[in-house]
Amino acid sequence: MTAVIGMTWKELLRKKVLLMTVLMTVLFLIVFWFIARTIGASEISNSSPSAQLVEQYAHGAALLTLGFFFGSFILAFLMIFSSFSSISGEAETGIMQSMLTRPIPRWQWYLGRWLGYTLFGILYALILYICVIVIADIHASIPRNIAVHTQSYLLFALTVPILVTLSLLGSTSFSAIGNGVFMTMLYGAGWLGGMVEKVTSSMQMDPQVLKTLYNITGLISLIMPVDAIQRKMLALLLGLQELAGMLDMSGSMTAGFGLGQIPSASFIVYAAIYMLLLLAWGIRRFYKRDF
Amino acid sequence: MTVTAIDIQNLTKEYSNGKGCRNVTITVGEGEAFGFLGPNGAGKSTLVKMLVGLIHPTDGEARLFGDPVGSLAARRHIGYLPELYRYQEWLTGQEVIQLHGRLCGMSKQEADARIPMLLERVGLGSRGKDRVKHYSKGMQQRLGLACALVNDPPILFLDEPSSALDPVGRMDVRRLLQELKQEGKTIFLNSHLLEEVETICDRIALLNNGVILRHGQVHEVLYAQTRWHFKVGGFTPDIMPWLTETSGIPLQILQSGHPGTGAVTASDSLQDTVWLGAVIDNEEQVGFINTLIVNQGMTLYQVEPVRERLEEWFMEAVSGLSHRGEHE
Repeated sequence: MTAVIGMTWKELLRKKVLLMTVLMTVLFLIVFWFIARTIGASEISNSSPSAQLVEQYAHGAALLTLGFFFGSFILAFLMIFSSFSSISGEAETGIMQSMLTRPIPRWQWYLGRWLGYTLFGILYALILYICVIVIADIHASIPRNIAVHTQSYLLFALTVPILVTLSLLGSTSFSAIGNGVFMTMLYGAGWLGGMVEKVTSSMQMDPQVLKTLYNITGLISLIMPVDAIQRKMLALLLGLQELAGMLDMSGSMTAGFGLGQIPSASFIVYAAIYMLLLLAWGIRRFYKRDF
Repeated sequence: MTVTAIDIQNLTKEYSNGKGCRNVTITVGEGEAFGFLGPNGAGKSTLVKMLVGLIHPTDGEARLFGDPVGSLAARRHIGYLPELYRYQEWLTGQEVIQLHGRLCGMSKQEADARIPMLLERVGLGSRGKDRVKHYSKGMQQRLGLACALVNDPPILFLDEPSSALDPVGRMDVRRLLQELKQEGKTIFLNSHLLEEVETICDRIALLNNGVILRHGQVHEVLYAQTRWHFKVGGFTPDIMPWLTETSGIPLQILQSGHPGTGAVTASDSLQDTVWLGAVIDNEEQVGFINTLIVNQGMTLYQVEPVRERLEEWFMEAVSGLSHRGEHE
């Protein structure tokens, strides 16, 4: 299985998708640096010290929300576009045919590919996480609790195995292009669901309409939990649950990137179980497939 | 007693569109080279893919040295060159071979030790350090052969091993296959290049529409009846009935030009020079006909046995039959 993991890493390191992701990341970090500097340099109003603290916190929260909003896009781009054709694409081109006749169980092949993409993505997520935190910390006041950062990083990185699992599963069923479209649509639906929640949470709407909308977005989150996990991660990082009711953030700079409904811890457990079930399903489909 | 390398019993793969193959039964001994022929879409690749574990059979069974196809034990016995050969473009040739070696359970050092020899053997020489994306189709096919040989397998499944090669490359592959056969490898060869099959294989089977039409020893197929051709000068057609009656062998006047190639040589163009043809069982009868021709004052320029080509055998076997290939 280590040979398959190694092959996957070589593939990732040598394919253009990584180069594009790195370029996007660098560009994003440069822009993020200037945004952070601008926000950090904005004047704190001469109100009471507690109000100033809240304002400083709001600056940091705005930066982190913004940073991880785009950071998660970059991470998703890397994971989806590097793995969407890994099975069907290789079967279509014929690469798979010579490899699968080797004395290695198919489940090991599948798991090797999954681990290869996932470990690489987790490492990339770590680099991205550190970059966002460091830039935000230079220009604003953000939490420095290691335990909080560890937990929020783990949540940030959890999106990697979920995306890889969905992408590999799709690749056992759809053609390479079909799976690329499927994954983009699925991720887009998850993102849209999250946006609907964020927007509606700050609007005065009929409770019945809100309930219907939340049912729809909840359903989307169950299928594509990445955006919801992202919200959970930010809520944890910003300590929103501890501050609930104490602060009104609606007027702050995070309003546009508001968090909407924060998923519970059970949702994270659900996401992990969901991912494991999809992984098992993918292995089963791969095992039964003719090449 | 010959050990059975490939034992296929009623192997069947049925697809909803009617393609696949049905009830294929073949036994191939260790060290034997077996040629598998058939028109496009006959089901040849489907059968090979079942044998190497890529396709799950619908019915029947097959074993490689006693191990069920698709099992890890069976896959340890094989090297496979697929019909659709493509390799990771982002890797170098050496890395592809190394990867295949690692997947076969070899250590990196073991695989690396074999790479130069394999590259040399398949004619890639110093190109092993180039990325596969810079390889031509022919080079990728050679790389595929190197990958198939990396674990020194006792059985080789080769699906059109020289389809992308130029004439020199085909000759190289033919030579390589002959060497492998001499080394005692069992070779299962799917090929449209009948000359290749004719040169390398001991036995052949012909598949059409998923079922085996014919099979047998190549020698038996090609030498079932020996035709002899006689190039005779000073020939007059009047002598034909006498010659046939006296020899007891029905002789025919063949078309002008060499019957094998159709080429007209300078001597063919001589007046009264013809080619006669006859099916003759033994060489004594050939000597007798020679004597009769010479005794009649004619000139015997050339006498030669003409073996049936596999291509003729193939065409004769499938002519008049429907087949589900590309002409449908």
